[in-house]
Amino acid sequence: MGQLLRRLRMLFHRGRFNAELEEEMRLHLELREQKNLDAGLAVDAAHREAHRSFGNATVIREKSYSTWGWLESFVQDVTYGVRSMLRSPGLTAVALLSLALGIGANTAIFSFLDVLLLRSLPVRNPSQLVVLGEGGELGQTDRYGSTDLYSYPFYRQFQQKQQVFSDVATLFSYNPDIHGTIDRRDQMQPISADLVSGTFFSTLGVEPALGRLFTDADDNTEGNHPVVVISYNWWQTVFSGDPGILNHTVKLGDTTFNIVGVAPPGFFGIFVGHAPDLWAPMSMMSAMPLHFRGYKDNFSQSNLILARLKPGISREQAEANTNVLYQQIVRGFPDANLNAYNLRHLDEAHVSLTSLKTGLSALRHRFSDPLKILMGITALVLLIACVNIANLLLARSTTRVREFAVRQALGAQRLRLIRQLLTESLVLAIAGGLAGIVIAIVADRFLLRMISGGPDVDLIPLDVSLDLRLLLFTLAATIGTAVLFGIIPALRASRIEVTEALKDGRGSSNTVTRSPLGKVLVVAQVSISLVLTVAAVLFLRSLVNLTKVDTGFNRQGVLRLDIDASVTGLKSEDPRLLAMFQQIEKKVSALPGVQSASIASFFFAQGTWNGNINVPGATYDDHVYVRHNVIDNDYFRTMQIPLLAGRTFGTQDSTTSHRVAIISESVARDLFPASVNPIGRHYFLGKDPNPERDVEVIGLVKDVKFSGLNEPQQFIDYIPNSQHPWGYDGLAVRYTGDFNTIATTVQQTIHSINRTLPITHVTTLDAIVERSITNQRLVAELSAFFGLLAVFLSAIGIYGLMSYIVSRRTNEIGIRMALGAARSSVRWMVMREIARLVVLGIVIGTAISLAAGRLVATMLYGLKPTEPNNLALATATLLVVALVAGYLPARRASRVSPMEALRYE
Amino acid sequence: MKPNEIPPGTLNLLILKTLGRYGEMHGYEVAESILHASDDVLAVEEGSLYPALQRMLLKGWVSAEWGVTVGNRRARYYRLTAAGRKQLAQELSQFDRIYGAIARVVEVG
Repeated sequence: MGQLLRRLRMLFHRGRFNAELEEEMRLHLELREQKNLDAGLAVDAAHREAHRSFGNATVIREKSYSTWGWLESFVQDVTYGVRSMLRSPGLTAVALLSLALGIGANTAIFSFLDVLLLRSLPVRNPSQLVVLGEGGELGQTDRYGSTDLYSYPFYRQFQQKQQVFSDVATLFSYNPDIHGTIDRRDQMQPISADLVSGTFFSTLGVEPALGRLFTDADDNTEGNHPVVVISYNWWQTVFSGDPGILNHTVKLGDTTFNIVGVAPPGFFGIFVGHAPDLWAPMSMMSAMPLHFRGYKDNFSQSNLILARLKPGISREQAEANTNVLYQQIVRGFPDANLNAYNLRHLDEAHVSLTSLKTGLSALRHRFSDPLKILMGITALVLLIACVNIANLLLARSTTRVREFAVRQALGAQRLRLIRQLLTESLVLAIAGGLAGIVIAIVADRFLLRMISGGPDVDLIPLDVSLDLRLLLFTLAATIGTAVLFGIIPALRASRIEVTEALKDGRGSSNTVTRSPLGKVLVVAQVSISLVLTVAAVLFLRSLVNLTKVDTGFNRQGVLRLDIDASVTGLKSEDPRLLAMFQQIEKKVSALPGVQSASIASFFFAQGTWNGNINVPGATYDDHVYVRHNVIDNDYFRTMQIPLLAGRTFGTQDSTTSHRVAIISESVARDLFPASVNPIGRHYFLGKDPNPERDVEVIGLVKDVKFSGLNEPQQFIDYIPNSQHPWGYDGLAVRYTGDFNTIATTVQQTIHSINRTLPITHVTTLDAIVERSITNQRLVAELSAFFGLLAVFLSAIGIYGLMSYIVSRRTNEIGIRMALGAARSSVRWMVMREIARLVVLGIVIGTAISLAAGRLVATMLYGLKPTEPNNLALATATLLVVALVAGYLPARRASRVSPMEALRYE
Repeated sequence: MKPNEIPPGTLNLLILKTLGRYGEMHGYEVAESILHASDDVLAVEEGSLYPALQRMLLKGWVSAEWGVTVGNRRARYYRLTAAGRKQLAQELSQFDRIYGAIARVVEVG
């Protein structure tokens, strides 16, 4: 402790320390000299003898410093480093900027990778948590052998019978947007509510911030536990952290729920990127606005089951026990339909246990590949930046050869010089790292905005703020870069033939002029740049292909909005609800500037309702799914999807008339018997020939894209809303004129019919289509940006190296020109050098690009990674930029006046 | 080992012992004293005293204060601290043990 204090004191009084040591040593030498004189030596002999017996003063000084340890010499190196950086501000600015961009981009991308893929759930011991199945399927299914989604009765039996988990919990797998009111207020407010079992919080091992969380008793009988736990964030934002929160209520549908507790801060459940406002017990599912059924239905499978492993039980043991119980419970349900078909599916079913350590996320599936690619790209950019700085430092260290030679001759240790150069690199890297953090903070916001789908959309609740792990990552990246770009110049600079370097003027030391290391670095830069340019070209072309995809409908001139009719408390099949929607369509269609309006369950990229169909006369295939869309009469007119044959739905298709459907051309072509007119034929929705699910084909329409622009052709059929009421619907309005005016009048019209109806997601169909390619756009734009940055950095590298070589060869050039060499031949001499390096870099880069193409093949649309024109385009871009960067120094070389050049040194 | 060079690690002992005997001294005096006491046999590279003194300052074995020499020059005077005295005792006993052992081995022959 005393030592550290003394070290620090020394640090702050360094100036005095130096002066005192000098004075002490001078006194010593003078006294010794005096004594030698007294002993009868001549003046100069006395002086010499005193210095001889004293030893090397530089070494002694350095040893005295180093006694005070790393802290002292580090601070000394840092000050020296900062000073030498300021001496060449241009170089320092370029180095800092490229480092800041490189480190900033890496940190930003990593923060998304971290939050989506790496970060553990903020719950107790998350590595013990598992989810039954893969956790990838959300929604509802009545399929036998479902291993991701389970019914609530299954969960209850499993909870009682299992012996391998300390806790088991369940939650409803999907959570549509709903609206509710707070404290009997009038205002409808969007609320994100999750349905969970009473054991949900205890299984995850979280403690309430206030009040209580659920217990198993909260969902053991249906319908009589109107309680909710709210999230900490909702408490803070909606209730301003009111300490009397437990006296407040929330009304959802017809039911008033008491707030019984607040979840701890940062807790969001198990879905990364989905942060519910509140949690309600499963027992209240039918009281929710959407009237979920299935609390007692053995085959209404819509729940995820999660569990905590008992200590000492391995995942394999738990999986074995789970699978035994799975078969036993499903087959044991009294209403189980164990026909051969269902039994086959059950036999094939195997429940795997998936770790829930990092939670579940739909975003993960969507964004992990793009993010990994971007991480790779930004890492390469950082690498180029490092190479660039190494090159610049190398050039500078060659001009500092004499400085180091002098210092070594005076007794400075080589290790000390290396350490000093590395510290200089570190200072540069840390300054770049700090700027990088600022860039990362800005870039994170930008990325979150892009991932969320544009400027007019609510942000996805992802916490990408800087945390310790991220700062550690940045620190590692920074130190890594410092070592990477600093070590080679440092080793080079300190390995000097002292006498050689001192003899040398500024002239033409051969080893230095040839600078093979600098050339290797430029070749490396060019090849990495080529790889990045090829990537940028691929992703940009892929994006262009996507934007040119024919959607099958006319995406222009359509207003889209969602109406949450669940607040009326009416069930979807209620005639009053059907009438209300018909009235909305009628009144909106009559508005000036509106051509037509229609509700539908799906328009584009909004989820799906899939099922098998059974077409008599055609073979049934279990794996072929048809996307069902529930629509109203004016749907095709509004979307401008051409009718190919038959008719569209009309008023004659009512609740009581016989059931009808319209099919897409792919369904007719591939799923109906060949060469038969499908109009007028019947098929069954579902596998079984159940007469209740028989529909007659009355029309045939053109194929359209359903979920995304890059999907293969989908099978789609359309069902009239009157015969299969969907209930809580989206509305599309085809209009001409100003969007904002139409949007306002449409909303006013809807509210004139029912003023409580919440209207959300007001936008255009075109914007929705655009948003569906967010991640392709993200990758394309960012890779283009980084590709350009890489090319720019390489250009700086080439320019730097060439300027350096030219300045070292000024003398030689002067002689050549004095001997009659033409300007053009001098220019060519220099350009040849550059061209050789660039071409070599391009050849290597091409090889790498071709090899790495496979990695991105799945992310491309409508082109192959190996197409030669991509390479050609990238090569041409790079070649032009590189040659321009090299031409400037070459031209300067050719303008050298021979007289001047010869005088030069 | 070159002739007359002191064995490694004993420089501390020499400095501590010298300061212990004479109380307060500046660098040159310490060097002179070591040379003189050893009848000019022990040739210390005189400069190496200073890093050694810095080390002892850091460890807290000696303290330093500026004073004036007989020739009216400013000089830094070093003296042992309590910790320095303890260190001296320790190094002396260590020295005795090692050299005693070596002496016994050599004398047996």
